[in-house]
Amino acid sequence: MAEDKMPFFGKIIILVVIVGCLAGGYYFLAGKKSENSTSTPNDNTNSTTSSNSNSWKGNTVEIGIAYGTEKKTWLEWAVQEFAKTPDGEKIKINLIPKGSQEGAQALVAGDKKINVWSPASSLYKETFVLDWQTKYNNNPILKEESLALTPMVFVMWDERYQAFIAKKQNLTFTTIEAALKEKGGWSTIAGKAEWGLFKVGHTHPSKSNSGLMTLVLMGYDYTNKTKDLSLKDILEPKFQDWMLSLEKGVNALTDSTGTMMKEMVLKGPSSYDAVFVYENVAIDQLKNAQGRWGELRVVYPKQNMWSDNPYYIIDASWSSKDQRAAAEIFLNFLLTDSIQKQSLVHGFRPANPNVPIKFPESPFTLYEKYGLKIEPGSTCEPPKNEVINNLLSLWQRSQGTR
Amino acid sequence: MFSKLFYWFSILLLLTLVLVACEPQNSNDSSGKKTVDPNAIELTFTYGSEKEDWIKDVTEQFNTSNSKIQNGKKIIVKAIAMGSGDCITEIVNNTRQTHIVSPASEAFIKIGNAQSQVKTNKNVVGSTDTLMLSPVVIAMWKPMAEALGWGKKPIGWSEILDLARNPQGWAAYGHPEWGRFQFGHTHPEYSNSGLISLFATIYAATGKTADLSLADVNNPKTSDYLAGIEQAVVHYGTSTGFFSSKMFANGPEYLSAAVLYENNVIDSYDPQYKLQLPIVAIYPKEGTFWSDHPIGIVEREWVSTEHQEAAKTYIKFLLSQPQQEKTLKYGFHPGDPNVAITSPIDQAHGVDPKEPKTILQVPSVEVMDSIINLWKQHKKHSNIILVFDTSGSMKEQNRMPNAQNGAKQLINILGEKDYLSILAFNTSYGWSGKDLLMEKDRQTALGTIQGFFPAGGTALYDSISSAYQYMLENPKEGKISAIVVLTDGADTDSHYVTLEKLLEQIRFDNEKKTIRVFTIAYGADAKGDILKSIADATQAKSYKGTPENIQTVFKEISTFF
Repeated sequence: MAEDKMPFFGKIIILVVIVGCLAGGYYFLAGKKSENSTSTPNDNTNSTTSSNSNSWKGNTVEIGIAYGTEKKTWLEWAVQEFAKTPDGEKIKINLIPKGSQEGAQALVAGDKKINVWSPASSLYKETFVLDWQTKYNNNPILKEESLALTPMVFVMWDERYQAFIAKKQNLTFTTIEAALKEKGGWSTIAGKAEWGLFKVGHTHPSKSNSGLMTLVLMGYDYTNKTKDLSLKDILEPKFQDWMLSLEKGVNALTDSTGTMMKEMVLKGPSSYDAVFVYENVAIDQLKNAQGRWGELRVVYPKQNMWSDNPYYIIDASWSSKDQRAAAEIFLNFLLTDSIQKQSLVHGFRPANPNVPIKFPESPFTLYEKYGLKIEPGSTCEPPKNEVINNLLSLWQRSQGTR
Repeated sequence: MFSKLFYWFSILLLLTLVLVACEPQNSNDSSGKKTVDPNAIELTFTYGSEKEDWIKDVTEQFNTSNSKIQNGKKIIVKAIAMGSGDCITEIVNNTRQTHIVSPASEAFIKIGNAQSQVKTNKNVVGSTDTLMLSPVVIAMWKPMAEALGWGKKPIGWSEILDLARNPQGWAAYGHPEWGRFQFGHTHPEYSNSGLISLFATIYAATGKTADLSLADVNNPKTSDYLAGIEQAVVHYGTSTGFFSSKMFANGPEYLSAAVLYENNVIDSYDPQYKLQLPIVAIYPKEGTFWSDHPIGIVEREWVSTEHQEAAKTYIKFLLSQPQQEKTLKYGFHPGDPNVAITSPIDQAHGVDPKEPKTILQVPSVEVMDSIINLWKQHKKHSNIILVFDTSGSMKEQNRMPNAQNGAKQLINILGEKDYLSILAFNTSYGWSGKDLLMEKDRQTALGTIQGFFPAGGTALYDSISSAYQYMLENPKEGKISAIVVLTDGADTDSHYVTLEKLLEQIRFDNEKKTIRVFTIAYGADAKGDILKSIADATQAKSYKGTPENIQTVFKEISTFF
């Protein structure tokens, strides 16, 4: 290689290197730029007209609703629908699932994420208000309305129900207590040894509203009253013995009514012969039970009580004026006809009286053959909270004998 | 001069650029193959291996679906199958930072939460969801089940007990050609189906279906019943899948029946198995349990709010309808009651969708612990020969000390009533201990192992043959007879037997030759295929061991006993 050739070749190399560096630099910077533009966080790409809201003129606000999970699917749907409205663009709803008692306790403890409390029923209201007043010195409830209603029902496998009433005539807490005492189980009740022991379930009364309802209705069943269930009634030794006897034979360990009902359907009569649940939870599962273990039968207790799903806007120091106003707007939304109608799909009875219950596609028509009724039996009054507390203590004692 | 320098510098730069360009590019897509991707949130999910096929299927789907949490990070789930017991133990002992866990049944969650509360005042898991269900059944060859009355009347543990106790075996039921009754279930401390099987046996012994008490467990009738069933067991083990695959592969000769899940029975109808006889599920009339595969988010400090959000998304995916419908494909009952039960959960697949009729209540933790202790006393005991390679190559890579530790671990796990003999070999073989009863001679056995040192060649076949012959001539009735062979190399010094002659000598025949030979191919030079053929010939299992995992291998082998 002559000395003259190298410089020329060298120039080519140098040129290539320089061009290469420039090209690389260009592509590197171009890549960074496109990366920035595609990975933008969710800027409101769907912000059309910003100032179109009729009711909500304030800033964007977030509210937290502690709710009992019986209404989970309905509420989640409602929140999605709300988000599509002009108000919903600025008001963000955080649904916080909490057992009814748990929600009350969280509020009293000062959980700043909660602005609205919506337990399954107003059974806990009195206790909550008293606890709150002790700590915060004010009345906690700014506004309350019922969202949707559901009574309690016994649900039993039809084949077993027929065998049961052939012997016992009725399905009530009294006949259940007698059946649970039968040492031979189904063999004594109906000559069906292969059905094993008689198995009844309700939820844990301290953790689940329907469990607590069960105890209250047991009290009303025993005393044959519909109101004024008193401390005297509960402290009566014969009642205590009767309730202890009943509870000893019952499976009351699940926290959630929905889970217990699901378990009944998934595992069949081997898990429960009968459960005591909300009507809406039963409606949810009636069609799933078909084709599995036979049909289910719904029976209303003579003394019943509404779970009225109250919506309490809380007067908490951490709730801003905007949050309270937003809570009311969402409440009104939940009470509109279309949202209320959807509650039927989830087995609820709408709180809005304008929305009919009986029409061809309503579950109350479709499932009438399983025992579903519009009139759920006599409605009982919620007892005073000292009665509720004593029922719970009595129940705890029954668990100690296991 | 300067331009020459610049020229060479440019060449170098060019080469460097070329090399860099050839490396795989990190694309703008944040799901890159980097090991620690800041744009992803990785979840560790440990689960009971019964549902492995379904989990693998749906998790792959999830991981490629680009699911993200609110801040944009992509969710990646690393799902690891193992025994249900281990899933929970790892969390309680802090040996793995698991985020989501799903043992096969609620019993393990209960046990785990109790243990965890004692240690840390916290649960392992809080609330759980049911992924799918499968009842625990006694899987039996159809003609055998029919001989017991299946199809004509409800049958259960009491029939199994009668058969297990009958010295004539199947001959008492009109079938002498079937030989002895051979039964299997997994080790209750490691495997869900084994644990469930044990509870069900105890319930059957007491005639109860709920509220099992300590008094029930301590009743002598209970231990009699348990011992009666256990005497028919061929071996234990950690894996239900191992039993089912051996049963399918080896037919009624290997096992008459095993405690399996309903989905294993359904699986047996897969044409790949070419079974000589169909298998059916017996749902014990005394009651059984549902394996309901609970899934929950772990409650430990390494589970951040981001992990929780990601976990909730993954769990929601598993519980949604399309994934739930898929569980049917694998023979499970979906956890979602909205999905109707269809084929293959039907009689054509040996199962009954209307069963089980009676289920048993999971006992309290206190009672569960006492049951396990009762089992340890009354389980089938073992007679084991450890054939241990002490050749010169065991000097390499720390093989000898690690293998010694593994063997000592096995010795420590054996029960008081178990027997151990030790045959060490290199160029020739020699007995270092014969018929040592663990109750008296455990320390002696441990000391013997400790005294080994590596030297010489490998007379593998002769040693195994000699051990086998000894065990044949000195059987211990009513015990699990097994040989555990550890070797790190090929046979170099056998004089008396070849591999072919050895295999012929040891081949399992369900009558006289029922000794199982477990083999460990230790290290890279060991002949895995040959050792596997030895284990297979005797219906046992072969393992590949390394100095790092040898203790785990020994532990697993110990679960067979």
